[in-house]
Amino acid sequence: MHVAALGQNSPLNRRSVTRHWSICLAAAISAILLLMLLPVFSWIRLNQTDALFDIMKLKSSAVKKLDSQYSIFTFLSFVQESKQGLLGLWSFVLLLIAAAAAVFHLWGCVLFLLRNKLAEKKGLLAMYSRFQCGMVFSFLLAAGTLGLILFANKNYGLTGFLPGIPVYVSLGFSVVGYLASKRMEKAERIIRRDHGFIEEVRRNWILFLFLIPCFVFFLINNYLPMVGIYFAFTQFNFRDSLFASPYVGFKNFEFLLRSEILHLTTNTILYNLVFIVVGNVLQIFFAILISQVANRHLKKTSQTMIFMPYFVSYVILRVLVFNMFEYDVGLINNFLASIGRGKLDFYNTPAYWPWIITIFYLWKNLGYGMVVYLATITGISSDYYEAAQIDGASIYQQIRYITVPLLKPTFIILLLYALGGIMKGQFELFYQLVGKRHAVQHHRYL
Amino acid sequence: MKIKDHSSRGFNAMKGVLLTILSLLCVLPFVVIVSGSFTSNIEIITNGFSLLPRGFTVEAYKTIFKTPEDILQAYKMNFYYTGIGTALGLVIITLTAYVISRKEFKYRNTVSFLIYFTTIFGGGMIPWYLMYANVLNLRGTTLAIWFPALVTPFLVILMRTFIVGAVPDAVVESAKIDGAGHWRIFWQIVLPVLGPGLATVGLFQALGYWNDWYRSSMFSTSSQTWSLQFYLYDLVNSTQAMRQMAQYANVNTSDLPTQSVKLAMSVVATGPILILYPFVQRYFVSGITVGAVKG
Repeated sequence: MHVAALGQNSPLNRRSVTRHWSICLAAAISAILLLMLLPVFSWIRLNQTDALFDIMKLKSSAVKKLDSQYSIFTFLSFVQESKQGLLGLWSFVLLLIAAAAAVFHLWGCVLFLLRNKLAEKKGLLAMYSRFQCGMVFSFLLAAGTLGLILFANKNYGLTGFLPGIPVYVSLGFSVVGYLASKRMEKAERIIRRDHGFIEEVRRNWILFLFLIPCFVFFLINNYLPMVGIYFAFTQFNFRDSLFASPYVGFKNFEFLLRSEILHLTTNTILYNLVFIVVGNVLQIFFAILISQVANRHLKKTSQTMIFMPYFVSYVILRVLVFNMFEYDVGLINNFLASIGRGKLDFYNTPAYWPWIITIFYLWKNLGYGMVVYLATITGISSDYYEAAQIDGASIYQQIRYITVPLLKPTFIILLLYALGGIMKGQFELFYQLVGKRHAVQHHRYL
Repeated sequence: MKIKDHSSRGFNAMKGVLLTILSLLCVLPFVVIVSGSFTSNIEIITNGFSLLPRGFTVEAYKTIFKTPEDILQAYKMNFYYTGIGTALGLVIITLTAYVISRKEFKYRNTVSFLIYFTTIFGGGMIPWYLMYANVLNLRGTTLAIWFPALVTPFLVILMRTFIVGAVPDAVVESAKIDGAGHWRIFWQIVLPVLGPGLATVGLFQALGYWNDWYRSSMFSTSSQTWSLQFYLYDLVNSTQAMRQMAQYANVNTSDLPTQSVKLAMSVVATGPILILYPFVQRYFVSGITVGAVKG
């Protein structure tokens, strides 16, 4: 049902929806909460500083660097200067929550400014849900800050930390903003015939039940470790263990920049670029070649054989590469010796390895991509080719102007998966082929 | 589709030759491994590897199976991980895929995104390791080795595509009108027609578990929990293991068939896959086809 169709007298016609005081209130609160996140507002104030710094055993040089009040974003610098790793993980989580709150408030406010257009098309449900997410995160942020302060005060045995005004403002305003947004959402939901989370759970509770194992798995395996990025900013030691190791800011990254990281990053990107480009070209080439072969037997056999390397583990790949490129007994050196040429010392010459790594990556993954492209080619309707033949197109032209363009969506899907793979960097391939002590170890293998 | 052939005989021959060469290149390395495993070590050291075994001998296999405890233990663990990981993973993947295939489920896009998101962003290896080793304290348990690979985002999406393809919306709708709930629809309508999907996803899952060495290397505290591939990795890597083996088997260390034993071990570790490969290959192809065309 279109909103405007309800007529001028309805309280929910488009004009009154977009100007309704509730939604303006929610937007105003959202804007205020967004402002509160600015670093100029002090969320945490220090109290009884002398006694506090005494308990923390700080030297006067360290005390000089400390302020008396901190915003939610600068509190980590306090953790760093005062070497209180105990508060580090907590403040890091608060920082993440603050970032999430900022994103949702900003998003909601942008949608609010565009509300006249939105109300005509999709309605304002997206805006309400952004506002509500922002309010929830703001509330969590304020509650979390209070929790941090209570925890710290208990830990140091005095009221050394006090919450600033923004904490109370966020705590109160986020509740009001949430309720205001909820009120408008409820009205709009009736028009849009939409329902909320609780109603969805009531209707499809069994689907939520089905999702529980998956939820638990991804939480443990993927989402909770993301918080562990915090440890990249600490100087881990076993005495203080995970939760109290000193926070050192970007010091670790400075070290990385001084060492090989840039070189390694270019390596990773270049390798993956070559893998993607050469890999896809070869896969497409051989997929088209196989699709062109008339002999069914040859078609099946060659597909089976080319797909085979995909099924072996990287450990076997390691054995294979070793058998081929070993100095004394390797297949290639063996062959070179038999035709009277000098042997090549692959395992002590890094220059060969980019080639070997690339070739074996392609070898292992050619079959998989080829089957994917072959599946797409098989799915192309033969009408296209028949029409092209009537117009007198050669086989080359049919491939160039029909097959290849139609492979583009498949290429994009494979590309998306491959881009995800760059982050993981083909660890198994490199570890097994090159390893850390590979060259040394294999040279004295007997 | 089939392109009608107007091309010359020479062009056809060239296609055949190219494909044959590539096929051979893909298979030859396996031949080298198998033939090497049947060659004596002295032969390998003096003449190097070759495509056909010179001086056929099963000495290397004898050496391996003189002390079969370790390798049988690794085999047992591999079957255990593969079995439990595939079964449990399949249950979780199918349930999840069913949920995100239901159009009436309001949050299906959110759930799909949260699952896909894990493929492009993650906390990295060290937080992941710390999660299992320090927070959950699972180091040295078998749980740490099979749990982290239970659900793969790609397989969830693949399974969803299978469900959408196998069960038309109209069938589900009419079942609903007849009063069936999700539980009943899942067990009595979706599962019975999901055979090919279950086979394909299960085989992908089993292949991943069978070939895994990484989690064994991360979380094992003793060789009792090693998977087969990690056992092979260790064997290939350490000459020490060789010497130990020789001691138990009362073989003189000087003519220890090191190279050929490595190869024989590789054959033993990959054997089941290479034997099953011709029979299960079509499931992988059909899985990829479904994923590529409809996904």
